[in-house]
Amino acid sequence: MAEAVIMPRQGQSVESCIFSEWFVKKGDKVSKGDLLFAYETDKAAFEQEAPADGILLATFAEEGDEIPVLNVVAVIGEEGESIDAFIPSGEKAPAVEEIVKDAPAEEVNEETALAVSKVLPGDKTGISPRARNLAVAERMATDQIVGTGPEGRIIERDIRSALQSQPKATPLAKAIASHEKISLPSKGSGEQGKIMARDVKQMPSVTLSEDYTDKKISNIRKIISDNMYESLANTAQLTLHSSADARNIMAARKAVKAKMADGYAYNITINDMVSYAAVQALMKNPEINIHFMGDSIRSFSNVHLGFAVDAPRGLMVPTVQHANHLTIEGISAKMKELAEACQKGNINPEALQGATFTLTNLGGFGIEMFTPVLNPPQAGILGINTITQQPAILDDGTFGFIPKIGLSLTFDHRALDGAPAARFLQSVVQEIKAFEL
Amino acid sequence: MPKVEFIDPKIERQSSEIKLDPIPVNQYSKSIEDEKINFSKDEFLKIYRDMVIIREFETMLNEIKVNGEYRTIPYNHPGPAHLSIGQEASAVGMAYLLDENDYIFGSHRSHGEILAKGLSVISKWDDHQLMDIMKSYWDGATLKPVEKDHGGTVNDLAIDFLLYGTLAEIFARENGFNKGLGGSMHAFFTPFGVYPNNAIVGGSGDIAVGGALYKKVNQKPGIVIANIGDASMGCGPVWEGMVFSSMDQFRMLWEGEYQGGLPIIFNFMNNQYGMGGQTRGETMGYDTLARVGAAFAPYQMHAERIDGYNPLAVIDAYRRKIDILKEKKGPVLLDTLTYRFSGHSPSDASSYRTKEEIEAWQNVDSIIDYGKSLVQGGVCAQSDLDEIKSAVVGKVEKALKLASNDEISPRMDLIANPGAIEDVMFTNGSVDRFDDRIPEVNMLMEENLRVQQIAKKERFGYKDGKEVSKMKSYHLRDGLFEAIIDRFYKDPTCIAYGEENRDWGGAFAVYRGLTEALPYHRLFNSPISEGAIVGTAIGYAMCGGRVIPEIMYCDFLGRSGDEVFNQLPKWQAMSGGLLKMPVVMRVSVGSKYGAQHSQDWSSLVAHIPGIKVIFPTTPYDAKGLLNAALQGTDPVVVFESQRIYDKAELFHEGGVPEGYYEIEIGEPDVKKEGKDITILTIGSTLYTAVDAAKVLEEKYGLSAEVIDARSIVPFNYEKVIASVKKTGRIVLASDACERGSVLNEMAQTISETAFDYLDAPPVVVGSRNWITPAYELEDYFFPQKEWIIDAIHTKILPLDDHTPMNDFSTTEQLRRSKLGV
Repeated sequence: MAEAVIMPRQGQSVESCIFSEWFVKKGDKVSKGDLLFAYETDKAAFEQEAPADGILLATFAEEGDEIPVLNVVAVIGEEGESIDAFIPSGEKAPAVEEIVKDAPAEEVNEETALAVSKVLPGDKTGISPRARNLAVAERMATDQIVGTGPEGRIIERDIRSALQSQPKATPLAKAIASHEKISLPSKGSGEQGKIMARDVKQMPSVTLSEDYTDKKISNIRKIISDNMYESLANTAQLTLHSSADARNIMAARKAVKAKMADGYAYNITINDMVSYAAVQALMKNPEINIHFMGDSIRSFSNVHLGFAVDAPRGLMVPTVQHANHLTIEGISAKMKELAEACQKGNINPEALQGATFTLTNLGGFGIEMFTPVLNPPQAGILGINTITQQPAILDDGTFGFIPKIGLSLTFDHRALDGAPAARFLQSVVQEIKAFEL
Repeated sequence: MPKVEFIDPKIERQSSEIKLDPIPVNQYSKSIEDEKINFSKDEFLKIYRDMVIIREFETMLNEIKVNGEYRTIPYNHPGPAHLSIGQEASAVGMAYLLDENDYIFGSHRSHGEILAKGLSVISKWDDHQLMDIMKSYWDGATLKPVEKDHGGTVNDLAIDFLLYGTLAEIFARENGFNKGLGGSMHAFFTPFGVYPNNAIVGGSGDIAVGGALYKKVNQKPGIVIANIGDASMGCGPVWEGMVFSSMDQFRMLWEGEYQGGLPIIFNFMNNQYGMGGQTRGETMGYDTLARVGAAFAPYQMHAERIDGYNPLAVIDAYRRKIDILKEKKGPVLLDTLTYRFSGHSPSDASSYRTKEEIEAWQNVDSIIDYGKSLVQGGVCAQSDLDEIKSAVVGKVEKALKLASNDEISPRMDLIANPGAIEDVMFTNGSVDRFDDRIPEVNMLMEENLRVQQIAKKERFGYKDGKEVSKMKSYHLRDGLFEAIIDRFYKDPTCIAYGEENRDWGGAFAVYRGLTEALPYHRLFNSPISEGAIVGTAIGYAMCGGRVIPEIMYCDFLGRSGDEVFNQLPKWQAMSGGLLKMPVVMRVSVGSKYGAQHSQDWSSLVAHIPGIKVIFPTTPYDAKGLLNAALQGTDPVVVFESQRIYDKAELFHEGGVPEGYYEIEIGEPDVKKEGKDITILTIGSTLYTAVDAAKVLEEKYGLSAEVIDARSIVPFNYEKVIASVKKTGRIVLASDACERGSVLNEMAQTISETAFDYLDAPPVVVGSRNWITPAYELEDYFFPQKEWIIDAIHTKILPLDDHTPMNDFSTTEQLRRSKLGV
């Protein structure tokens, strides 16, 4: 008995996955547990193992295809077994002639009954002007639509029904599609497959010289680039810079190292401490711990802290849920766990969602200030810079240098004004300065 | 079938024989001396001058056609010039006694008649009359070029005006009598009583009768002459015109001052050739043309052959015949013997006749002979004649110089004024009545039984949500009747005739009640002469009256083909917009009676520019559209379907108004609103479409919008396009055979104007391209509601669970086309 291999559902909100590559060919013999193919969501990449021994009888996906989850991707079975039962719907529609033949005999006089059309629905690519115009207005691609009009012509009702089954698109996605004169994809990467701008926009390639190589960007790269572009194109973001007295956190770091030598389990880093300080400051300044929804502001009573991870496949932003309930040790441990998953590429997609505020740290590269890019609908992202020695008047009134850690807060001016943002940043500065383990 | 005339078998079956009166042939034998009591010297010389003018005018045209110049004035005239050189005495003699109240209708060879009649009227008018008409015609545009540097008398100026106006018309110049839209074969000038000349042989044979009918019915002074050729005796319309004009009822049934024959002379300009066919001896069998008059009782049309080579003989005959017409003993047939030296046209090599024959007639050239007789009879000296000749040459030269000059005589500028011809296709007038006298009727309208019956009817087809019974409801035929009787009581010139119009009340009872209301001269039965029914109506309207001719079955329209296609639509535009043509022609479209009684030919009529075409299908529309047609000044062909004469008003809420109202011609009407598909119909197919819409709605969940075209020409697409924009789909249906149906034109127009809104090409559902079979098989021929649904399913929008029973596939469409069926 042949067995189907389906596209697994990776996370509740995932409607479809991008098929990446086959590790075996159609006709190859596979054993249970062999890697069959790779696929990815917008957040992570996965590999699928063979669920059974047998021959790979059929494949229904190719690299780059978008496959709805739970759809059949391949069939494994014994040589010669029928695969008909597994053919995904839409691949082949029954002929109208058959329908006519199937009609009850008593209702149809065989001699006078006429087959409407000898052409299978969808065989022709013809489309009525009305249907075409509707498709253009809705930025809908028609090449996958099966026409039900005369002789397989795509008519208005076909577009309307495709529109109903097609996920909604964001106004931005529609506007970009309209501007670029391109069709919307049939599935998007947003919630419930909502088509986002990132699903539509393709960056133009720029030719600088002939001394180059072209490499198609990965889906993650594409998604990142779209997100970044969308963020900058659609928010009123600006960045405030400040720096905090780092003497306490440096002392704390030293203490942690010393304690670890004594078997302390938590490698609490400067980053963890600044994150902790930021969580405290966010609780004191809830006006920045929000989602800006365009016509409403969603305030959160908890802090779900996103933080940027430089993963091999690109930038990833996992979230520490309910960070305000965690101790410094808890935050440190959670962040490590998530960062490692990102590095390995096996992060649960749901862990990549839901942040209310984000941290990003370029301090390790000696960066003294930068302008982090917001992750909408969040209204703030705090960039952590390197620690530099800065002149200061010391407690004893003498002039000297103290270590200071740079902070760059980007906020969405649509969501809040400069003063509350500055107050929050000031609050972070104070938390860092006053940090104690 | 008047009941007053008893057909007694005893008398009808009696043995007897028909006695014919002798028909005079060339019996004029007076000398100049004898005629001196009838003509002064000036008059004798005027006759000579008029003949010379015609001869020189046509010689000039011949020179231009053959040599490209006349007296060193070069000109290229590519258009027609059918000359009558040699026939001048016939034309001048015919016109000599006539004034502006006498109307002449001519042929393609009528330059001479235009000039002769014009010269005759000019000689009878005083300076004021002449100046008034010259200054007002085209606002003086025709006068201006000839008036410049003119130093002679007004009479002399008027002759220049006549020559120039005619020549400019022949040369298609805007200063011409008909703005250049008539041309050589159709030129005319109604202020002088010169009515349209006709390029269709015999075309004036029935139109002129309509002119005479107008004079009789409206008691207008003057007589009418149909100047037609000997060869036109072979044309049906000429015979139909003679039959119509000889109807017994004029003498036996018409009453009071209306009693008596029509004031018309069928003047056969017998030049003995029809193009190259010799009438006597080859193409005809009448021996002497005048013999034909003997066919018509009781006066044999006072037929006579006269010598058309002697102007005095012709005038003599006219003097006698005009008296006969004044005694109301018309019609008259004259066989005016003549001969043309010139060919049929300049391209004619005269291969059908000998040089000797032409020379023999040139030897008796009427101008030379008449001139000689004047000199010999002591009326004048040869020098007088020479003087006339040289003066005429100067006048013709002047006319040519002016008419050939592009600056003085420009053609219509269709670049600067692209609508110049468009503007004269229809007159689009609104006229209550064409005369101010009180309309003659037999009773007050409210005394009329039909009017009283209608008053008791329900004017809307539904009452309290239920359909009113057939007997109690107001029918489409009542709507037509109300519009028509209203016009009869409003416009004294309004008359109606056709087959079975009186007593019977029209074959389909539209006129029931009119017989009692109207005297004979306003409503009468015509002979079974569809050509003459329409042709006379054209003449009647052209002369100033409103008329409702009826064609009993659309299939009989072919019998009036020339009248409907060449005459009715043309004369408003060919007059340059001066003539009005208030002819409302009713055409009944049949069914049940097979191939020659069931055809909807509305598309054929719609194809011809210059006619308005309507096809009302509900009582409300019938009354409103017919009112609009009858108020207008344009020819309107009203198609009526026999299937629906008894339909009640089912659409217009509130029913058919009792009072007068008009529905604008050209506006379709949405009979039922819908959103998924549009069905546009012409004619009674509306009701089939409404049935189809019901099925679409109930069985397939499709909401159909049904639009009745109501009018075909003109047609305002706005509502249809708005509907198609909404629904995206349209089926067009009518009972006309599908091939060449005007629905195809509408479909094409919709494709072009609403292309981006269409979800499928517009689909036409017409009758099959067959003969109409017997009633029992009609469902296979005429569009049925199932056809409309099948067509939608196959070509527009496949319907769920629908199995078509009729093949509307494109394969079948192409197969049928390939076979021509």
